[in-house]
Amino acid sequence: MIRRNPPRVATWILEHFALADRNEALAGDLLEEFRAGRSNRWYWRQVVSAIAIGSLRGTMGRLDVLLFALFWSMLTPAWLLAFVHLEQRFSLEQRLWQMDWPWSTVCDLGLLLAANLIFTWAGIALYLIPHLSITKNLRLRALVKGLLASVPVLVTLWAALIVLPMRFISQSRPADRLASIPMSSSRITRIEPLQVTRVPYEETWIAQYGPRAVVHEDSALKAVADFRISTMFVRLPFFLCVVFALWGTAPKSARTGRIAM
Amino acid sequence: MSNFFAIIELMTDRSYLGEFELMILLTVLHLGEEAYGVPISRELEAHRGRSVSVGSVYAALERLEAKGLVTSSLGDPTPERGGKAKRFFQVTKEGLRQVRATRRVLTRLWQTLPDLKLEVQLEGK
Repeated sequence: MIRRNPPRVATWILEHFALADRNEALAGDLLEEFRAGRSNRWYWRQVVSAIAIGSLRGTMGRLDVLLFALFWSMLTPAWLLAFVHLEQRFSLEQRLWQMDWPWSTVCDLGLLLAANLIFTWAGIALYLIPHLSITKNLRLRALVKGLLASVPVLVTLWAALIVLPMRFISQSRPADRLASIPMSSSRITRIEPLQVTRVPYEETWIAQYGPRAVVHEDSALKAVADFRISTMFVRLPFFLCVVFALWGTAPKSARTGRIAM
Repeated sequence: MSNFFAIIELMTDRSYLGEFELMILLTVLHLGEEAYGVPISRELEAHRGRSVSVGSVYAALERLEAKGLVTSSLGDPTPERGGKAKRFFQVTKEGLRQVRATRRVLTRLWQTLPDLKLEVQLEGK
């Protein structure tokens, strides 16, 4: 007798996406039922259902992380506003401006990245400290991994969700000017012979896509209550970054946390 | 801040037995030592008269296990199941206590409805 096998793709999806520690038993049960005469359609339906249930339970087990990340990301415009004020107070842009290339670019971007990371890491710490006092259980390795992973995640998301749409989708700027937005205070205007000229700060990348460009309000409260699409785009990388960093770090709820199956 | 986490914990927690959970507990009790995913799902399908997602059965069993109402143990892997082991479930003493308590409450509630009580008596005959 030829032994029937379920659709390979469905089995692969089940093994890779649906399940945690119980997948072996569930996968075995589905196979047993399939070989007892169930149809391919039944098998697919079970796999889709297992993925949906597993994802939902996984998300519900991390509801506190999602809510906290949402709360923290709402504060992002206020933080960026504070950063702009700080930058103006200590004339940071002018000091950076006086540096030669590539240091002006490196310091510009480094300062922006550091500011964003301080905010993100402060959120992560604020979540973990009270959480620790309740659960007395923290996976330190996962925390370090989460913190380190937040760096490339934040940079990639910031670039993908803020800089690229602003640069390529914006209709208000002429295309020829977009193509020559300088990354620093200097612009290469000729290759042979090499000719480098200084450009006004307002025309640089950091001025057009940095904190100044994305904060529309002048008070922290107004900034937090700003729900314009562009401001929501600014919040999104921080939300995703905090979720990403905390997802594997804090233990899930004892009753609901373990993903079923 | 700690209240925030306590609230979230409560939001995701349910201390009472849900309808599906009660059905599963009764099915596991009925099946005895043969209670694993496949027969539990088949029994439920037969009694409910509609198909059951094996994933949802495991999700409910997982909740019941977290509440201490069932325990589970892995059997030996078999070639018929692609070398995958069965997970057998057993109702704990606390699970049995909760089933009895739920039955008492439900019976009392049913008895407060005179018309339905008569209907139930007629069905019994």
